[in-house]
Amino acid sequence: MKASTLARLAVAGNRTDVLRTVLTALSALLATIAMLCAATVLSITGWAGRYTATLLVEPGLRPGVAATLVLVSLPVLALAGQCIRLGAPARDRRLAAIRLAGATPGEAVLIATAETAVASLLGSVTGLVAYLVARAAIGEQHTLPTDVRPPAPVIVLLVLLVPVLAAAIGALLMRRVIVTPLGVVRRVRKRGPRPWPGLLIAAGLVLFALPVQDRFETRIHPSKNLTYVFLGGGVLLTMAGVVLGVGWISYFTGRLLRRYGRGAATLLAGQRLITDPWNGSRTMAALLAAVIAGSVALGYKALLATNFRYYDFYNQVMGSPNDEGIGAGAEPSFYFNAIRLVMVAVGLSAAVAAAGLLIALVESVVARRRAYASLTATGVPRRTLSAAILWQTLTPLVPALLLAIAAGDALVRLIQTDFDLGSAYRECVADAGPRADCRTLAALHLPTVLHVPVPWGDLGLLGAGALLAVLVAVGAGLLVLRSSTDLEELRVG
Amino acid sequence: MSTAHVLLGLLAGGPRHGYDLKRAHDDRLPRAKPLAYGQVYATLGRLERDGLVTEAVQDREGGPDRTSYEITDEGRDHLDTWLSAVEPPAPYVASELFSKVVVALLAADAGRARDYLVAQRAAHMGRMRELTTEKSEPGASVGDVVAADYAIGHLDADLRWLQTTLARVADLQKEVTS
Amino acid sequence: MSALLSGTGLIRNYGATPALRGIDLEVGAGEIVAVTGPSGCGKSTLLHCLAGILRVDDGTVTYRDQDIGLWSEAARSRLRRTEFGVLFQFGQLVPELTAVENVALPLLLAGTGRREARQTALDWLDRLGVADSAEQRPGTMSGGEQQRCATARALVTVPRVLFADEPTGALDVLTGEQVLGQIVRVAREQGTAVVLVTHEASVAAYADREIALLDGAVDPTGLGLGVTL
Repeated sequence: MKASTLARLAVAGNRTDVLRTVLTALSALLATIAMLCAATVLSITGWAGRYTATLLVEPGLRPGVAATLVLVSLPVLALAGQCIRLGAPARDRRLAAIRLAGATPGEAVLIATAETAVASLLGSVTGLVAYLVARAAIGEQHTLPTDVRPPAPVIVLLVLLVPVLAAAIGALLMRRVIVTPLGVVRRVRKRGPRPWPGLLIAAGLVLFALPVQDRFETRIHPSKNLTYVFLGGGVLLTMAGVVLGVGWISYFTGRLLRRYGRGAATLLAGQRLITDPWNGSRTMAALLAAVIAGSVALGYKALLATNFRYYDFYNQVMGSPNDEGIGAGAEPSFYFNAIRLVMVAVGLSAAVAAAGLLIALVESVVARRRAYASLTATGVPRRTLSAAILWQTLTPLVPALLLAIAAGDALVRLIQTDFDLGSAYRECVADAGPRADCRTLAALHLPTVLHVPVPWGDLGLLGAGALLAVLVAVGAGLLVLRSSTDLEELRVG
Repeated sequence: MSTAHVLLGLLAGGPRHGYDLKRAHDDRLPRAKPLAYGQVYATLGRLERDGLVTEAVQDREGGPDRTSYEITDEGRDHLDTWLSAVEPPAPYVASELFSKVVVALLAADAGRARDYLVAQRAAHMGRMRELTTEKSEPGASVGDVVAADYAIGHLDADLRWLQTTLARVADLQKEVTS
Repeated sequence: MSALLSGTGLIRNYGATPALRGIDLEVGAGEIVAVTGPSGCGKSTLLHCLAGILRVDDGTVTYRDQDIGLWSEAARSRLRRTEFGVLFQFGQLVPELTAVENVALPLLLAGTGRREARQTALDWLDRLGVADSAEQRPGTMSGGEQQRCATARALVTVPRVLFADEPTGALDVLTGEQVLGQIVRVAREQGTAVVLVTHEASVAAYADREIALLDGAVDPTGLGLGVTL
């Protein structure tokens, strides 16, 4: 097949395909910009006192900033992956017809991924242009690092990386799809998903906990980078475990709904969950990852707060004035601001993830519009169909959110749950002065152990926020359902 | 078929000689039995007696083959009436095939009936193939194609009826024996 | 002389349901073979197996003395753009491409240059009488035009074997005649072997011989009933 043929077949499409291309390009654009910004931050060398933001000045903090930026680009890439499924039935039929005309299975997959790759390349190149234009427009100032540029090979690599990743995700999503000349079949699992992702979560927790164990530090003496690898790996494994676990959660709740639910709505919802349990994993992956990140951040905030209290009490006991004694490297407000920034990133990611959920929902409704229209025509009220969609989305979501929040907080609690104030002074604290008296911590009205609290309020807000985002997305999706059950959809052609 | 009406139809286009009419009839209706000259003149005579045609021009000495006939106004009316009338669907089924199939199924033994039916179907298919080839030939005229279509349609109908009858008889037997 | 395409002892099941129960058949170059039978007798399955679209569970399909059952899916796909032509009743054209692009598709997939492929496609559209619709999409064409377009696509590669499954099923008589006439012409003039699946006797009459199927096996009587009299 010549390149020109591939190009023509890759761009052949109707309105939905154009929409898909545009959304894919948009996602690629955002992801590229985020990654270019991360690369820019990493290109700053040494102590960059010229900037106003401490986060950019200190070399130890910049990797964290870059990591956050990359993390923000992940839900955007997930959105791109979600877009690939838009208009899938029509695209599958097109591929089957092309196979009938003599294309090999490999060529069919190539055509599908070429479309994604071309759209993503368009987006990433536009993102590069936008980045360069913004840099020139903002000009010289000291807040943003517009005077630094990542090396040219890195820029080229990033611009090419996004389409390659998108094509790879596309190919991965097509692995279950068999395009035959007679039509498209999807390989269906005979049994439901098993709860083995729980093992992944456990493995993630263990990996995260290792670097902070004393025995580990003394035995292996890990470098800072190795520690980060363990920590990061632990977080990623936990996230993967939660996301994949949604498959089992969906299947299980599907069976519960079917067994104990009354009425058509729960029956429809339960059956859909059983037939396609991985739908939840796909659509909610980004949201759950964001929630885990948020939960980690909030748990760490509680840890830090307790740590600062510990420092204050310690200094009080030792009688040190405010500026001396032990303490953190900077003002508490610095750390809390950083946490706040992370939460903003989490909020953005959650919004993007909810948009992805909306797209997935709209696509599935539109793909089934003829079935929905005929259901409505035979008398099933739209209320029932809407209720089925709500049941189907929300019943696996609630346990999944709880799991994500719990996993995130568990990770932080592995670092430290208590600050032992009395460890050096079991009962007695002596003054520094010559006539030292023994005082107990109790007499000073100080606790011996400071417990790191579980930030129930904050976590509750996080969960409620995520739930709200999903409800808004589903609500918007139900509006599409309203127009899809229009009886016009029953007309042939 | 109604030879008189065919001749009237042929004359509607303009006067013709007697021998011309026979030739035109055979050309236009190739599958029909060729018309004998005697039949032509006898029919023309009847038509003239009924006032539906009239002699046009006497050519030389005269004689029927030299006479040119043309259609009269009454002749045209008569033709119109005939063309407007709907052919009543035949109330009676009169066909050799019909009788043979019925007898084969009800009276003959199973093996004999089956042999006959297989042979009959093969014959029908063979004839249909011949007709299809003829009508697909490059030089086929509209008359050829139309006539072939008619025959093919009827053969097809016969085959369909054959198949349905076999199915009905099989059902009946199942009812009887169960 | 061995046949161009032959199937020996073909068996194919769909799950637990047998669709073909041991069928033998041969087609020679330039020959038109009709496969007839009532609906559900396995005619389409037989066609798909012979064309290499489906794999048989047992038996061999031999094309030019090679067992195509041993070929990979990719190799059998390539047959469809060079030596096999397929013409189904519905749903073959790509809705998002124009008529001429659809007809040129097998050629383009085989690597032919765009201009040459387009010209050949236009020629064939002209032969089928739908050259005027060349730049239209299938959705805007009538059923008859679509099927003629699909016929052009099946014939554009000058295939050695044409597989036609109820090609005139959705067409009126005159358009159907045009399509069948074109099929007969390629058989006679280009020596294309044709496997023509149909349940209508008047369509089967275009073939040189007929193979009747019943419940997945050859029915020698052609009467279409498995019952005894």
